[in-house]
Amino acid sequence: MNPVYTPVRELAEAVRARQVSPVTLTEAFLDRLERLGPRYNAVVTVTRERALVQARRAEGEIAAGGWRGPLHGIPYGAKDLLATAGGIPTTWGAAPLRAQTFDFDATVVQRLEQAGAVLVAKLAMVELAGGMGYRQPNASFTGPGISPWGGTWSGGSSSGSGSAVSAGLVPFAIGSETWGSILSPAANCGVSGLRPTYGRVSRHGAMALCWTLDKLGPLALTADDCGLVLDAIAGPDPRDPTAALRPFRYDAGDVVGRRFRFGVIRDVAAAAEESVRDAFSRSLDVLSRIGTVEDVTIADLPYEAITRTILMSEAASAFEDMIESGAIAGLTAPEDRFTAYARDAILAKDYIKALRLRTFVVREADRVLSGLDALVAPGRPAVASPLDQEFRSAARGNVPDVMGAIGNAAGLPAIAVPNGFTEGGLPTSLQFMGRAWEENTVLAAARAWQRITDWHLRRAAVDA
Amino acid sequence: MSEPARDPGEADLRFALVRLRYGDRLTAEQLDALRRAVETIVEQVAALATVPLTNADEPLQRFVPFRADE
Repeated sequence: MNPVYTPVRELAEAVRARQVSPVTLTEAFLDRLERLGPRYNAVVTVTRERALVQARRAEGEIAAGGWRGPLHGIPYGAKDLLATAGGIPTTWGAAPLRAQTFDFDATVVQRLEQAGAVLVAKLAMVELAGGMGYRQPNASFTGPGISPWGGTWSGGSSSGSGSAVSAGLVPFAIGSETWGSILSPAANCGVSGLRPTYGRVSRHGAMALCWTLDKLGPLALTADDCGLVLDAIAGPDPRDPTAALRPFRYDAGDVVGRRFRFGVIRDVAAAAEESVRDAFSRSLDVLSRIGTVEDVTIADLPYEAITRTILMSEAASAFEDMIESGAIAGLTAPEDRFTAYARDAILAKDYIKALRLRTFVVREADRVLSGLDALVAPGRPAVASPLDQEFRSAARGNVPDVMGAIGNAAGLPAIAVPNGFTEGGLPTSLQFMGRAWEENTVLAAARAWQRITDWHLRRAAVDA
Repeated sequence: MSEPARDPGEADLRFALVRLRYGDRLTAEQLDALRRAVETIVEQVAALATVPLTNADEPLQRFVPFRADE
C-alpha cells in the first residue's frame, strides 16, 4: 500500500494486520520529511534516530501480538513547542532559542509514545507561537510556513503541523491554539484540525504563551483521525493542574442517519472574504441534509477585546524576561522585535476586568450552545495570503472573529474541516464549535460532514 | 453595547510609560508603531468599560487554597 495520504484509521488496520510494517512506514515518512519538508519550511528537526528506535520496538511488539491500538506504529510530527528529551532541540520557532533542549518529554509526547506512535519530526511554528504580534508570514527562523496549496501562507502558529499533514509528510501532527493557531493552519492547508476544550489535554512540557488560553490538539486528514489522536492524548495529569479529571473516550460510532442541530450567529460571516462567504453559504445548504440550521443571537459584549486583553497580558508576562532584556531583538519578524513593548500599557485592572467579563462570555456561550449541537462558521474569515503580504488576523484586531474570541475565551472545542476552494485553488474551511467537553459531538458533526462531502479528499500537487 | 468613550490623553499617558522604559532601544519608526499599538490598547480597554460591572462580578479564575497532602 502507499501510506501517503492514507488516513490513520486505514494505516492502523494495515499495521495491525501486518500488511505494512511500522519501520517501512516510518522510513517512508522520514524520506518525505527530509526531501519535501524544506519546500514548505515545515520542519525544524527530523528525529530519525528516535523514530527508528520507536518503529522497531512497535514492529516487535505487534509481531508478538501486542498491538496497543490505532496509533501503534504510526508516525507523527509535533509542533516545536513540545519538550522532547534526548538532545532533540525544542526551539519554540525562535532564533534565540534554536539550541534550547529539555531533559524530559512533554506529557502529550509521552502519551503518544505510550500509544505506540512514532515521533518523526519536530515541526515548524511561528516564533513564540505568534505571541509577539507578528503581522506577516516570515516570522520563524525556519522561514515562512508554506501551504502546499498555491505556495501561500500555511497559517499559524502551528504552521508546520498544517503543511506537513497537507503535503503528506506525516499522517497526523500535534499543534497548539491560543487564538486560531490550530484552526488557521487547518484552513489554509486544507486539512482537519481539532481544538479541544481547555483542560482536555495536559499542557505540561508545552511552551506557555497564555496560561488560561493555551490548548493542544491534533491536525490530520480527517475528523475521524483527529478523534483517534485525541483519545490518546486526553486526560488528567498531575503535572498540569488545569488538566481536567473528566475522562475522554472517542466515540467513533456511525453517524449515518444522525440529525444535528446547528446554529449560526447572525452576521458571523459578514466580514469574511467573498470566496469564504460563498463557500460558507453553500455549506449551510449541505448541512441541512444532516440537520437543522437556525440563526442565533448572542449578547452584545466586546468579545474580541476581552480575549485580546487576556492574550496580550498573559503573553507579556510569559515572555517578560525576553521582552525586558531586549532578547526579542533576535526574533525573525521585524515587528516581533519591539511590538510587545506596547503591552506595558495594559494595566493590572484592565486584565482583571477582562477576566471579570470572561465570566459573562462563558455563560453566554453556554446559554447559546445548550440548545445546539454546534455553532457553525467559516474556519477562518480569509483565505491564505501571499507570503510577502501582511495577513488579516483577529488576534491583531483587523478582522472580526467573534467565534474565535468566544471559543478561546470560553475554552470551547472546535474543529475546522475543508469546505471548498476559491477560483484560484485555495482551500476554505468550515468550523463546528460545541459546548465545553463536547468533542465527541463536534467530531460526529464533522464526520457526518465528511461523509457527504469530498473536500477533505482533495490533494495538493505535492508529488507532481 | 454602546460606543466606547475615547480619551486621547489616556493614550499619551500610557505611551509615555512605554517610551520611558524602552525608548532608548527604538528607532523613530518603531516608536511611531508603538504609539499606534498603545492607541489600539486604549481603544480595547475602552470597549471593556462599556459593560457595567457590579462589585459582585468576580474574575472567572478562582483562587484555590493549597495543601500538598491533599
